[in-house]
Amino acid sequence: MRMESHGIDVDVPQGWDGEIYRRSPEEVGGETLPVMHLANFPLPAERGDFGSGAVEMMRSDSVLIALAEFGPESVGTALFSREGFPLVDAEDFAPDQMQRPMAGQSGAQYFFTENGRTFCLYVALGSHSRRRELVPEVNQLLETVRVTLS
Amino acid sequence: MTAVLVTLSLAVILLAVLVVGLLRSHADILRSLHQLGVGEDVEHTHTSTSTPQPRLNADAPADIAGQTLRGSTVHIGVSGIDTRTLLAFLSTGCSACIGLWEDLAADPTGGIAGVRLVVVAKSREDESQSRLEELAPSGVTLVQSTEAWQDYGVPVTPYFVLVDGSTGTTVGEGSAPSWGQVRSLIVQATGDRAAVERQEFEVDTGEIKADAELRRSGIGPGHASLYPENAPIEGNQ
Repeated sequence: MRMESHGIDVDVPQGWDGEIYRRSPEEVGGETLPVMHLANFPLPAERGDFGSGAVEMMRSDSVLIALAEFGPESVGTALFSREGFPLVDAEDFAPDQMQRPMAGQSGAQYFFTENGRTFCLYVALGSHSRRRELVPEVNQLLETVRVTLS
Repeated sequence: MTAVLVTLSLAVILLAVLVVGLLRSHADILRSLHQLGVGEDVEHTHTSTSTPQPRLNADAPADIAGQTLRGSTVHIGVSGIDTRTLLAFLSTGCSACIGLWEDLAADPTGGIAGVRLVVVAKSREDESQSRLEELAPSGVTLVQSTEAWQDYGVPVTPYFVLVDGSTGTTVGEGSAPSWGQVRSLIVQATGDRAAVERQEFEVDTGEIKADAELRRSGIGPGHASLYPENAPIEGNQ
């Protein structure tokens, strides 16, 4: 089923949870930028932009994908110099890449620019030892993500 | 002439009495319906517990797509996962739902363990947003999707559908005015489903059913009655 909002759209597989929302501005009157969450397990109603509150519920076969957009001030900076939406590599995953370290879990993050918009893609896996098994599932979904011009 | 006038007058009086009686009866019916909560709401409400038979269609229950209360786009997976999901179709225009909303504020799980609870309200154009913001407690997964109401053929409000994600089937569904009764519906639906599956299994495997009946009668493997000495031997008669 296709899910689309804020210039981001993705094919959500059956049984997966997904949400595209605008995160709260860091300051009053600040810009609210979109965040997308995708997970192959039930996402809790309340969770952080990078999955806090959700990663605690992951099992060894669980996958959480968080895509967070950054502001136009990030365009052209070194951090976001990578062009194009990335696919993930099992070798990039490490337990210490988790936003909040959880026993046995693994994470990876990628900063990039797509269609003039800057993003951080963060992927958490329920089990570091199963990363080679889970990564193809993640990439199959990431290949369906489309980001339109800002 | 006088007799005709008297007859007509009596007929008019009789008809007047009948009309008054009908109006009173109608008023009583309306009063009773009002006490049941019917007629106060835009949509039809239902306050008694009922458990329709599990759906027989082979289609897997649809995932839910819609919007959250804060306006974000959301997709909730219900089939193809190792989770049971209870879809609670609640509305702001349903007086029988008020208690359910209030209880959710105290306990976002509705007191139902081992099941994921997802509240499904109608889309923004079909609900009172301000009322929904008042009623919907934080910590509850809530999706606004009129399409989901149509997909699941919701007949009354409130309405509950229990989906087993691992088998992609609707285990049970029905209406109930309290979370306590919803829990009863779940227990009943789970029991009904187990009975149906047991029955299907026995029909599919006739030998097992026959064995079970013999065992209940005290006849097990090796029982003497299974090997009568004078039993006719096929082909020797």
